Amino acid sequence: MFQANPLRLYLACIRNTLEAAMCLQNFPCQEVERHNKPEVELKTSPELLLNPVLICRNEAEKCLIETSINSLRISLKVKQADELENILTKKFLRFLSMRAEAFQVLRRKPVQGYDISFLITNYHCEEMQKQKLIDFIIQFMEAKKEISELKISVNTRGRLVATEFLKQFM
Amino acid sequence: MAYLERSSPTLKETLLKIYRAEKPIEIDQHFYEFGSIQYHIKCSVLDTKIVYVSTSTLLETQGIVTSKEILSATYEVIKNIAVGVIDIVDPPRLGFQLTLKLHLDNIPRGKEAIKIITRISEIQAIILSSQLKEMLKRLNFQDDSQAINNNNRPIRIVYHPSEPFYVFRQAEKITAVFPMNFKDNSDVVIAMSFFQELVEVGSQKEMGKAPQCSWSPVPPFQLRGEPVHDLTTNAGFVSFDITSRHVEGKRLDKTVWNLLNFYAYVKYHIKCSRGYIQRRMRKRMDSLVKRLNNTRFEEEAPQKENGACKYVKELVKVPKGKLMMQQRCKDMTRRVKISKFRIRINGCARFRFNQRWISIPKFSSKSSNKSYTKLD
Repeated sequence: MFQANPLRLYLACIRNTLEAAMCLQNFPCQEVERHNKPEVELKTSPELLLNPVLICRNEAEKCLIETSINSLRISLKVKQADELENILTKKFLRFLSMRAEAFQVLRRKPVQGYDISFLITNYHCEEMQKQKLIDFIIQFMEAKKEISELKISVNTRGRLVATEFLKQFM
Repeated sequence: MAYLERSSPTLKETLLKIYRAEKPIEIDQHFYEFGSIQYHIKCSVLDTKIVYVSTSTLLETQGIVTSKEILSATYEVIKNIAVGVIDIVDPPRLGFQLTLKLHLDNIPRGKEAIKIITRISEIQAIILSSQLKEMLKRLNFQDDSQAINNNNRPIRIVYHPSEPFYVFRQAEKITAVFPMNFKDNSDVVIAMSFFQELVEVGSQKEMGKAPQCSWSPVPPFQLRGEPVHDLTTNAGFVSFDITSRHVEGKRLDKTVWNLLNFYAYVKYHIKCSRGYIQRRMRKRMDSLVKRLNNTRFEEEAPQKENGACKYVKELVKVPKGKLMMQQRCKDMTRRVKISKFRIRINGCARFRFNQRWISIPKFSSKSSNKSYTKLD
């Protein structure tokens, strides 16, 4: 219960920030005619960018939200307690990133220093409902839970296999 | 390296094929298994009842005496698989350690034949196990003083080029040490968690009868002086303490087989774990994609009703009621009248003119058919 509260506060903070940040509109590129680019990626026009917000749960878990007039970038860093969690996190998030076309809002390569990144543009906001999109991002942050479950499954499997191997001697 | 299944599947399949063949077949096959085991099968059309099977393996032990030969006791064990069926050819075929001459005529018919052929396919397992069995028996009966005289030198056993393991005698036990090496970093991590579980399970009361298992990142001091490239590992050293209990009677065979298969067991576990992780990730990804698709505005499209298709095309409305049905029939009749009589429309047999329900008034001059009165 006590551990759930910091997580809830962290997720609530991220949700409120996203609700404020996800006010995007179409804005053609100022530098190239007839081009429309996500300004948060280019960062060529400072007047189109808002201040980035960094929300830290602890040293190992944080969320960076960068906003611009027509796009929003969310980067997440997931806590990894040991080597096994480390490789499981890397494998899982890399697996998802490589299939970014299925997610549309997912970035193929995470921002440096983070494990996974999303890029949401005004077009996504036109096709998808804002609240549900925010819910999706928040649910995605439960990847930590999935990784913990994977770790437990791998350890349980290892234990069963070890038991069977040693039983053969008896 | 030994494998989890004792019999070679390819050898068994080929021998069964020759045994069951109705017509004589010529076979001269050469195949390898696990990179270090070699087989050669020869069967001539002229004499289909005789099959020559040659085998060779990387059989190397280095210790007090370097040994690459098959023990004489092993030959007896192989002959006793099926008396009268197996003859050992001396000298063996060039490039092989053992050549067997099989008399297929002498194999009894029925299910017994499959059993014998399966046992013949296990010759590699027998060869590999027999050497380690002899070694463990010898070490078990060795006194501690003899062991000290021999400086407790470890015996290096190599059944696969990159997977040697060591066996040496200690006070009241024999220790088998496996240096573990993996190519992939994630394999190392999964293997380390497995070794941790192995040590924990081995230390439980229920597993008191199993050999004591331990893991160490550095080699035991008994392996000092061994080649450096064998002792360079990325996953540490796993040791099993074999007591006299594990080498007595029928348990010796099990102990030897488990030790020979330890590398294969660990690799198989890692492979299955990776497959499991992949399946879980794929499943989770599918659920996330579904959730994302639910955020779209198209959700407001007509929902399913009673399991019917969402995108139901509007078909032509079928008029209800008897009156509408009659109107429809009249329309059809009119169309048929317009077309020629000889044109037949499938399913419209009822609309043909020789049918009764289409009544065309007939005009006849006969007075008997008159239904009216002629006016003057």
